[in-house]
Amino acid sequence: MKKDVLQAYKQAPWRTQLQWVGIFLLVVVGVAAVAGLYLSISGRSAATGRRIQILESKVSTLQRENNDLQTLLGEISSSRALNERVDSLGMRLLTVDEAMYLEVPGYVPATGPSLAPPPSIQEDRTPILLPQFTDTFIEWLTEKLQAVPEPISETEVTP
Amino acid sequence: MSESIKNRFLIICVICSVVAGVVAIQMVRIQNIEGAEKILAASENYQGVTRLIYPDRGSIYDARGRLMAGNETSYEIGLDLNSDRQPETIASVAASVLGLDYAQVLGYAEMTAGGGNPYYIVLDDFVEKDKIAQLEIIKEDYESRVAKGNETLPSLSGLLWTPHSQRSYPEGTLASNIIGFYSYLDRTGGAGYFGLEEAYNSQLSGTPREVYIAFDPQRLSTVEEVPPGVSLVLTIDREIQALTEQTLDDAIEWSGSESGTIVVYDPEDGSIISMATAPRLDPNEYWDYSTLFPNPNPYNSAISQTYEPGSVFKVLTMAAALDSETVERDTMFNDTGSFFIGGATIYNWNRGGWGMVDMTECLQHSLNVCMAWLATEMGPDTFYTYMRSFGLDRKTGIDLGGETSWPLKLPGDNQWYEVDLATNSFGQGISLTPIQMVMAIGALANDGKMMAPHVVKSMIINNQQYVVDPIVVGTPIKAETAHILTDMLVDSLQNEASNALVDGYTVAGKTGTGEIATALGYSSTETNASFVGWGPAEDPKFLVYVWLEKPSISPWGSEVAAPIFSELVSKLVVLMDIPPDNIRMTDKMQMTGQ
Repeated sequence: MKKDVLQAYKQAPWRTQLQWVGIFLLVVVGVAAVAGLYLSISGRSAATGRRIQILESKVSTLQRENNDLQTLLGEISSSRALNERVDSLGMRLLTVDEAMYLEVPGYVPATGPSLAPPPSIQEDRTPILLPQFTDTFIEWLTEKLQAVPEPISETEVTP
Repeated sequence: MSESIKNRFLIICVICSVVAGVVAIQMVRIQNIEGAEKILAASENYQGVTRLIYPDRGSIYDARGRLMAGNETSYEIGLDLNSDRQPETIASVAASVLGLDYAQVLGYAEMTAGGGNPYYIVLDDFVEKDKIAQLEIIKEDYESRVAKGNETLPSLSGLLWTPHSQRSYPEGTLASNIIGFYSYLDRTGGAGYFGLEEAYNSQLSGTPREVYIAFDPQRLSTVEEVPPGVSLVLTIDREIQALTEQTLDDAIEWSGSESGTIVVYDPEDGSIISMATAPRLDPNEYWDYSTLFPNPNPYNSAISQTYEPGSVFKVLTMAAALDSETVERDTMFNDTGSFFIGGATIYNWNRGGWGMVDMTECLQHSLNVCMAWLATEMGPDTFYTYMRSFGLDRKTGIDLGGETSWPLKLPGDNQWYEVDLATNSFGQGISLTPIQMVMAIGALANDGKMMAPHVVKSMIINNQQYVVDPIVVGTPIKAETAHILTDMLVDSLQNEASNALVDGYTVAGKTGTGEIATALGYSSTETNASFVGWGPAEDPKFLVYVWLEKPSISPWGSEVAAPIFSELVSKLVVLMDIPPDNIRMTDKMQMTGQ
């Protein structure tokens, strides 16, 4: 009788196996989801990092090109080069007798060149990579949990 | 589940557990073995590198913002011995494009990295961009070829070119005595020599900074920018500098002088507008320095060479005498042609006496006897107090590297004798640099205020431009004395119809002929011919100092240096936009309603 009762309540073998398979698949899917998330973030992080490397290299190249162009401009407009052009055009320095002076009321002569570059837009010096790219999964989860807004207290008054 | 399947499952679990356990034990073991720290440190090398970044050297601009010194790109050519390479191809290209020795490059290219050999060899450095462009064309050509069958295509793999900065001076020799040079061939220990490159070396070079560069993209963060060195904007006007240098070169050739110096100075604020000396070095090829300047030739004689200035010094003696009220402008002096002092007799330049003369005539005829009398009338204490207040006992502190000075002998010194008081009064027995004379005489042209000579007008630091304020060194004489002396010097030039006069402009000035001391005493044939003048007299905008060393066509400053002053100033006023007297006076009268 007792054996019959146990027999009646025992799970069928196929059902137990299915439960094990289900648990195993759940674990596999969980691990795959976490791994996929990591892979996705790692991939985007690596791509962004590589882009930063390329941009920094470009900045260096542009700075060098800027220096080269300034030097080239300096050579083209050097005193020697301009004097050669002046000579080839048959020009010469004005003499005192040939100069004509005009009084220009209110004219204020320039005091000197302003060579400093114009002020740039205030740069945001925060890290290039967002925390989403560098936080661990646990850190990300903790942050999200902490970010859950607290219920508004009864004493809080809104205007 | 059958028993055998259970056993198999158990065996697999045990094996997996054992493997996992072994891995875990090994992980713990590796972290605690003797070389664990070294392994950890080595692994850091794969994640990134800390590099010392040298900022770009600051640029130098003239008063109107034109580039005088900057930077351009040049390349280092190297061989990566770790890579697959074709030694013959590399050697052939290096020889044809870069002009390197084929056999030597081939030898390097056939070497194997490690085992005592380096991993990287520098084949050439400071290679110009056009040669790199040729290399890139060849490389692209090789890479674009398609192999046919078993054909081996040529390749420049292993040959690397890396850009870096190189100092550049687009104006060549122009103002090179002011700028100096930077030893750019020494890429890590380069330094500035002479002039601005030396005086502002630390500011121009900036501060090298250690920067961590991550190889691991996940560890990348903001790379800290290294600010460039400080850039300088000069008081020097390039066109006036070119004019001054051209005038000096012509003057040296015309007068047969050994060398010369011309300084154009703004007495109002101490700015150096131009400063020409000879010879001049092209700082792009600074390695020619020792050839061009064999010892003891100074790089910039305006600040580094002392000499006995002769009669131009008389303006300072007269200024002291007037300011101390020892004499007045109209005080008469009976010039007998000689003056006995300290066991020696002082004579005039023509060995003659000029009879009764006033103080203007003393300057006009440049009378040594009159000056010696003035100095003795003042007494050594007063005379040398004034000379010290004119800054003649020290360097001017001009912002250029290489300034020198000669000690001023003073009463009480071992080397000072009574006769020195007399000889010093007319610029003999005293050694000064042209810049000391310029600063001191500048006080006469600036209401008695002596301004520190300087070459830098403003600095650009971290993208902000800061103006350098002029510095008043002192007020050695009263404004009234300065005005009286300027009038006297205007009169003296006009009375003698000097070669220094400039059409349309009133200028004040004084000639100087200094005898040169030799081992056998003073030479009567070799002289230093000088002229100092400033204008327009009523409101001086420039002071010009001319010094020609050992002219051969004439020993006299009035015949050699004075015409150079006139020639230079007649062009200078055009470049400086200074209208002639009649126009300025008309404007001034209109403004004051007269």
